Amino acid sequence: MPTVDAKPSPFTFELDNVALLVIDMQRDFLLPGGFGESLGNDVSQLARTIEPLAALMAVWRAHNLPIIHTREGHLPDLSDCPPSKLARGGIGEQGAFGRILIRGEYGHDIVDELAPLDGELVVDKPGKGAFYATDLSDILEKLNAKKLVVTGVTTEVCVHTTVREANDRGYDCLVPADCVGSYFPEFQRVGLEMIAAQGGIFGWVADSPTLIAALSSQEQK
Amino acid sequence: MTATIGPVKANPYLWPYDGTVDVSRTALICIDWQTDFCGKGGYVDSMGYDIELTRAGLPATARLLEHVRGLGMLVIHTREGHDPDLSDLPPNKRWRSAQIGAEIGSDGPCGRILIKGEPGWEIVPEVAPLPGEVLVDKPGKGAFYATNLDLVLRTHGITHLILTGITTDVCVHTTMREANDRGYECLILSDCTGATDPSNHTAALHMVTMQGGVFGCVATSDDVIAATEPSDHPARHPEND
Repeated sequence: MPTVDAKPSPFTFELDNVALLVIDMQRDFLLPGGFGESLGNDVSQLARTIEPLAALMAVWRAHNLPIIHTREGHLPDLSDCPPSKLARGGIGEQGAFGRILIRGEYGHDIVDELAPLDGELVVDKPGKGAFYATDLSDILEKLNAKKLVVTGVTTEVCVHTTVREANDRGYDCLVPADCVGSYFPEFQRVGLEMIAAQGGIFGWVADSPTLIAALSSQEQK
Repeated sequence: MTATIGPVKANPYLWPYDGTVDVSRTALICIDWQTDFCGKGGYVDSMGYDIELTRAGLPATARLLEHVRGLGMLVIHTREGHDPDLSDLPPNKRWRSAQIGAEIGSDGPCGRILIKGEPGWEIVPEVAPLPGEVLVDKPGKGAFYATNLDLVLRTHGITHLILTGITTDVCVHTTMREANDRGYECLILSDCTGATDPSNHTAALHMVTMQGGVFGCVATSDDVIAATEPSDHPARHPEND
């Protein structure tokens, strides 16, 4: 059983009950000139997650373990975008990479370095959380996944919301700190602290080299 | 109904996004004001945290409750807790509470910790529900998961939520995130919330305000009271009934 040195305690999983979630590594959030940067955010804070995440995904694929990618976005007619979200601006407007956060647009898709392989699942979500109004629960049930490694962007928004949803549903979540990113270093720090506080109120925090080492010490499945 | 709320001087925008909202479309959500979270001998006290921090929002919440009850606003109270047989307690949640020395379901000074019907699970008297107010029992941090909250809100025609309760970064934030994804326009009150760690309280409120209000807005109870406008008809005060 792989055991990962984590906060607040070691995180264990089996090769047949774990899945990797990669949250919203989309061009609109990560690329210079995209929606995220147009809001005045420092996208380099997110870009640093690409390399460790690519390495983690490579190891995950080598072990034939499941990877689920998510994308935040809306239908072209915006019928799945709440008026209060639309009123805050940007969504559906013309951006550098097509209509902002609209399904099918270039900016809505995942960055080239982390592109899903054939057979990997992609969950499109209208909100910050990956469980609300999606079939993620059914997917995880079919995979028999009880332990989730949650990665992606941004730490305090979509990653946190998804970890909170997963935690209430009884999943154990491990968040590798170097594979999640926030535009704001302060939120990166407190976002990770909140997860591991009070005995791990939402889950566990480690880093990807520790996770990879725990996995690599196992016989290949 | 008899009054409107807004525009409220909130951060980062004047709340709500659509200018004003009738009290009949607005609900006040009071999250987990339970002895287990803010009373002596409760769960949070047993874990060794300072309950003065989680009690800090009680006076302002009590005052706001009086105000919105006078307006006839829908009031919803939530309680985190589990069935006595623990059949709705995820094993990992139980395990983690045991690790920190306050296992859910075990006996404490206020009865079995976080178990429905026990003294510690009840809402503290300062903000106790009145007969007729909605109570939502939830097994998780979020008030939407595995509850009827969404159905209750939609049945009442509610589109806007004002959030109070504890703790800011855990149950209030999780509920606000769930509500925001469901399209509810949310306002969290800085003086009617609290956390076991003051810096988490501050950071959680700050997170709400980023990116144009990624989960909604932050204000104080005074801001809400000041932004209450009676409409053409006189307000329905209980003493006039």
